[in-house]
Amino acid sequence: MLTLATVMVPGSASPVGVFFQQLEIGLTLGAMYALVALGYTLVYGIIELINFAHGDVFMWSTVVTLAIVQAMGITAPPGPAALVGLLILLFAVGMVVSGTLNVTIERFFYRPLRKAPRLAPLIAAIGASFILETVAQLWRGSGFVAFPSLVPTIGVQIGNVHVNVLDVVIVIVALALMYALERFIRLTRMGKAMRATAQDPEAASLMGVNINRTISLTFIIGGALAGAAGVMYNLYIGQVWFFTGFQLGLIAFTAAVLGGIGNIYGAVLGGFIIGIIEAFTIQYVPGGFAWADAVVFAILVLILVVKPSGLLGQQTPNKV
Amino acid sequence: MAAQSPFKGVTTAASSGLGRVRAWANDTMIAGRPLTYYVTGWRFGVIALILAILLPAVPAAAYSDIQSLLVAMISVFVYVMLALGLNIVVGYAGLLDLGYVAFFVIGSYTMAAGTYGAVSDWQGNLHNVPIFPFYLLIPLGALLAGIFGVLLGAPTLRLRGDYLAIVTLGFGEIVPVVFANIPVFFGQIGISATQPAPINTPVGQISFTDPLNNSPFYYLVLVVTVLVILGCSALRNSSIGRAWVAIREDETAAEASGVNLTRTKLLAFALGATVGGIGGVINTAVFPSITPLNFSFDISITILIMVVLGGIGSIPGVIIGALVLRLFDVYLLQRINDPVHQSFLVAPINAPLHFLANVDFNTLKLLIYGIVLVAMILLRPQGLIPDARRKRELAGEGAAPEDISAVGMLAQEEAGISSAAVGDALDQTEYTGAGSDAQGREG
Repeated sequence: MLTLATVMVPGSASPVGVFFQQLEIGLTLGAMYALVALGYTLVYGIIELINFAHGDVFMWSTVVTLAIVQAMGITAPPGPAALVGLLILLFAVGMVVSGTLNVTIERFFYRPLRKAPRLAPLIAAIGASFILETVAQLWRGSGFVAFPSLVPTIGVQIGNVHVNVLDVVIVIVALALMYALERFIRLTRMGKAMRATAQDPEAASLMGVNINRTISLTFIIGGALAGAAGVMYNLYIGQVWFFTGFQLGLIAFTAAVLGGIGNIYGAVLGGFIIGIIEAFTIQYVPGGFAWADAVVFAILVLILVVKPSGLLGQQTPNKV
Repeated sequence: MAAQSPFKGVTTAASSGLGRVRAWANDTMIAGRPLTYYVTGWRFGVIALILAILLPAVPAAAYSDIQSLLVAMISVFVYVMLALGLNIVVGYAGLLDLGYVAFFVIGSYTMAAGTYGAVSDWQGNLHNVPIFPFYLLIPLGALLAGIFGVLLGAPTLRLRGDYLAIVTLGFGEIVPVVFANIPVFFGQIGISATQPAPINTPVGQISFTDPLNNSPFYYLVLVVTVLVILGCSALRNSSIGRAWVAIREDETAAEASGVNLTRTKLLAFALGATVGGIGGVINTAVFPSITPLNFSFDISITILIMVVLGGIGSIPGVIIGALVLRLFDVYLLQRINDPVHQSFLVAPINAPLHFLANVDFNTLKLLIYGIVLVAMILLRPQGLIPDARRKRELAGEGAAPEDISAVGMLAQEEAGISSAAVGDALDQTEYTGAGSDAQGREG
């Protein structure tokens, strides 16, 4: 993640201070990774498909919200009241764009292939991802486009650690969304339908669950969470790039596998762990930037070798 | 339930179009036989090979035209090899490898580093290393790529297929990053291979470095490509090839019938990687300058699209898929891109279609590739020239009788009984497209 250079704070020289500063960065990154990882895990939990296009659905939120900010002609932080209104607007747009995009892909690319051999929907997902990337590239070009910094860089100093107000907002919004998702899946009828479909689609449909609608809902929710993460990414990293979704998607998928794919608590846990590992890699590994992706990939292979079910996942036997 | 099949109209149109082509080929008579007789089976292979051998002798308006076509064809052959290698993994064994470019990189760097004569240490000091002859580097590159294939495959092949897809995707991303960030092979600057030395023959010296005569290279690559094609064909018809297909069709049943899953999959993965390595060595011999940035995810996906377009598992299909896409890429696209850009750059800003001056045709190409990939999977999953066995597999998903399992067929083949009779009944059932399958589930 080359773009992380923009968020690294020099901080104090004390090793303890550096450690906690990186921890703070890691938590903020982890909040975003966790939101994207939830989308992977929800979809995998319900139809056992790795949604390759998920990272690009996230990327489209960054691209569209950038277009809105540019269309409004905003280049500097607005006043407090206007800022809150703007952030609500951006989050709403980002979530709607990504949710819609995700469910559209499901409807036209995955649903017709639900009974096809396993490889088919996976290949369709790669195609979808490729299409989303190249359209964004045609629209915004191949380079990075800067997203204006909207939230003033004010913060508090806690000991040696500098905590930006933006970081706090990101973590709080992410945690609120995760809590809302958890309540939704546990307590509502639709949430119950999602759990039932994940467990056994045929039995669920015999009990009157509309499978297609439940799967669509899962894609909408997963997409919306990625959309929110996209807005956070813009505010935090501030660089819009057509290929962002590919890299971040790989990281978030690793987070989902680390936590145990199919398990929403696992995705959150995995997201935070990966975020922290990445922040530490950049700080403590010589030439850390270049190796951040390699470290994440090594973690992925290691989990798959040592404990494929992940930290919180259950070992499921292959269905015959 | 019309809403279930949004692509039905397109499917119908596409298959009626293909039907018309087939009817035309049936009606066109050459020397007393219909055209279809010549374009099926080994006859087509022989005709294609003769055409390929004669290509450098084709009279052209300008000598340079035929030379640039030859260079394009060399690149086409390299991609035919790569697509066939990926086809072993994806088509035969049904494992999705999304980082195939990694093995291409390993082969390319074997060639470049093996002929450059020096490596760099972390301080940037050069150290001399021996220079290997090109013909030794082909097997060496194949071996190294195969070893990396085993190293990557061994831990991950025990897992479900979709994990493999992600791990290979990551591997394909990481390998170029590693080459870019370790100084041994000059990091991001890249490295240049020394082209093969000339060969002395009784009729004279054959030089591989003459930019005005690409025929020697063309024939060299053609020979390697034909060997790879023959190898793939032999593999497909061996007992290992049948074990791969059994795994692809039903892993659990194959295992129950005594196929060692991990070892058989690993073999497919390693052999696919080996072919990727050979492709890398050959490509770098012809196009010697490489940097890590040359090897992107686009290449992995392009090769996958060649396989899917032509027909997963089908050797003639994959060859045609690679031929069509690579010719489009290296020959046609360059001829469209530059003139369009040049003519619109001088045109006034309000001229019609002026926006084309800003369109990157290479990106547009990738968009088309993505659309082709999705369209093929949705509308014609068996590909342009389907593999007979795979076609039955696709058709069988909804319609085949339960008792004709992959392993049953495998056992019959092993026992020397032709599976054609069993297959004929199934051939009647066309894969009806995705929409009706989804309906079947609903009902």
